[in-house]
Amino acid sequence: MKSTAKIIIVLTLITVISGAVLAVLDAYTKPRIDAYKNKIRNEAVSQVLPENVKIETINKADQTFYKASKNEEVVGYAFQVSGGGYQSELVLMVGVTADFSKIIAAKILSQVETPGLGTKIENDPSNKEDPSWFVDQFKNLSVAPAITYVKNVKPSKDNEIQAITGATISSAAVVSVLNKGIEKFKAIIQE
Amino acid sequence: MTEQKPAPEELKKEIKLETTPEKETIKEIDEKPKPDPRRRLFKSDRMTIVAPAPHNRGNKSVPRIMYTVIAALLPAIIISIMLFGTKAMITILVAVFAAMVAEYACNKIMKTGLTIDDGSAILTGILLAMTLPPSFPIARTALGAVVAIVFGKMVFGGLGANIFNPALLGRAFLQASFPVKITTWTLPAFAGVDSVTGATPLGQYFSDGTVTSLKSLLIGNVGGCIGETSAIALLIGGIFLIIIKHADWRIPLSYIGTVFVFSGILWLINPEAFPNPLFMMFSGGLILGAFFMATDMVTSPVTPMGTWIYGIGMGVVLVVIRIWGGLPEGVMYSILFMNGLVPLLNRWTRPKYFGEIQIEKKK
Amino acid sequence: MKEKTAIQEFVKGIWDENPILVQLLGLCPTLAVTTAAENGLAMGMAATFVLLCSSFLVSMFRKVIPGQVRIAAYIVIIATFVTIADRFLAAFVPDISKSLGPFIPLIIVNCIILGRQEAFASKNGIGRSLLDALGMGLGFTLVLLVLSSIREILGSGTWFGMNIMWESFAEWGVMSQAPGAFITLGCLIAGANWINARRKA
Repeated sequence: MKSTAKIIIVLTLITVISGAVLAVLDAYTKPRIDAYKNKIRNEAVSQVLPENVKIETINKADQTFYKASKNEEVVGYAFQVSGGGYQSELVLMVGVTADFSKIIAAKILSQVETPGLGTKIENDPSNKEDPSWFVDQFKNLSVAPAITYVKNVKPSKDNEIQAITGATISSAAVVSVLNKGIEKFKAIIQE
Repeated sequence: MTEQKPAPEELKKEIKLETTPEKETIKEIDEKPKPDPRRRLFKSDRMTIVAPAPHNRGNKSVPRIMYTVIAALLPAIIISIMLFGTKAMITILVAVFAAMVAEYACNKIMKTGLTIDDGSAILTGILLAMTLPPSFPIARTALGAVVAIVFGKMVFGGLGANIFNPALLGRAFLQASFPVKITTWTLPAFAGVDSVTGATPLGQYFSDGTVTSLKSLLIGNVGGCIGETSAIALLIGGIFLIIIKHADWRIPLSYIGTVFVFSGILWLINPEAFPNPLFMMFSGGLILGAFFMATDMVTSPVTPMGTWIYGIGMGVVLVVIRIWGGLPEGVMYSILFMNGLVPLLNRWTRPKYFGEIQIEKKK
Repeated sequence: MKEKTAIQEFVKGIWDENPILVQLLGLCPTLAVTTAAENGLAMGMAATFVLLCSSFLVSMFRKVIPGQVRIAAYIVIIATFVTIADRFLAAFVPDISKSLGPFIPLIIVNCIILGRQEAFASKNGIGRSLLDALGMGLGFTLVLLVLSSIREILGSGTWFGMNIMWESFAEWGVMSQAPGAFITLGCLIAGANWINARRKA
């Protein structure tokens, strides 16, 4: 009986102290962690929207998106889209024009594709002048009809991009994530 | 070190030892110390045991088999040098040289006695080179050959102890390391202008649906790895190996047969969506893999039943990779995958010895 | 058994009882995060921090914690320090925290840490426990650093992000992937065993 009491007291004490320490720590580090997350997100949002615009954060139907307006007129939206890549989840920030006809720009927030192959969707060291050529292709790309990709040749239509040689699945995944995400947010925003 | 089954002469001696009086036994052992068991494993004129008991000593030896396989590869080597020119020859020579140097270094470090004369390193080098595109850089070819010998064979304890086909393991390493270079193909010289990059028939099919003609596939004037393009040259060597019984006929038959039947069924269901079975059979490295790599005595099952399962498994994996996978070609992975299952297949399909099964008693 | 001196207590973790090369503990983070030298070093230091703090507390309270619930108590103590390390990395070096991903929280189940509490800190005084923890942590960090350096140099041609290979060097992509981790670790363990075998002979 005495030992049971001791077990309860000791374990309770340890957990209470541990909880208290963590509470203090959380209060101290949370602002910094949140500030960092906000900074990253704001940078991404401003990169995929036109310059000199007013950006508002809007929550609608459990989704967050960002509305860009210039002189009271809406010029575009930005939102985060995600989906399965070749090995992991792809997360992109994408900006589209107000009528959802064109992508303004897209940026990859996180990806864990095959190093040296799928990772070229974000950074292609073999293209010294423009390592981010793959995502840059999405600038001013038409999304109606949906984006498609071609292999080994230069894209000929306004809704086409060129897939990375040897990393077709990762390239196709980016296209599919964008197509699905834009569709989804179009429905939410234009509701 | 694992226990070695004594070769017949030693077996006799041991039986004799048991029957002779004890004093003499000790004397005999003193006079002739038993050789290091590892030396026996590596002594290259002795056949490694690759069949379920009982055993009968034949006249085959490791060097003899290796050099016969190399001879059977000659038509394909000659054709490939004709097709791809000196680049193909240099790649083969570099791979063979690097493989032999790696084997020699391992022999020295592991103190196993020299095994470079048994021809297995030469064969590994040739097979590795034959699975590489002609434009593959020389330094990386050498790296692949070293990996094939060191990590594919020697770390397991040398020839006979390896689980995976060394040449394919070396290629898998190169595929994972240099995925772009290893899929950059050069078209053969007489298919057009020299050194034009182009797609393989399989790559072409899966990107835009072009089916290369059967004639080109048989002769080999298509893009591809050094040794895989000419189906005829490979078939000549392969059938020769089967006739002289250095390769088990069940393996190519079940492997290629499964590919034919499986892709044939898919093609009959929907000829639009799936490639025709003859194209599947003769494109890519299937013939090379089925006759020269899957039949490797060390990494294939020893029982007939196991061999059938092994071949069918490879065929299914290959078709699945080619049609639904992310890669146009899957010969390498299909063989490596089934190589990994060989120890299990051997155990599972071991023949029953007389008296092992108890007859159920009638109630 | 002969009592070890304080120095032996410290040194044993670096080579003779190295957590990775000899005890083969904590292999999951070892294989997973060592794609770049920076990650390896950060992982090693975070684990060392947790190990030191936990060993200190466990050793201090070793007579108070009842035997029946000792594992639960150790885990709570370890988890507290892991969370502290995780939050600090996220707040001050967010880039490293992002690339280590879920492996910092997973230090909680790293066998080296729980193993040292159970095998050493719960039976020895504070001083010895700290020396043991420091030695083990250092041994872990050193192997991680060597492993991740080899993988980064061969797999990306860089070391701590600096280009150190010649211009035409082709990265061995496989080294940045999981098989490269296994091959390199296998070679390191083989090398350590080879050296030990020669030392004994």
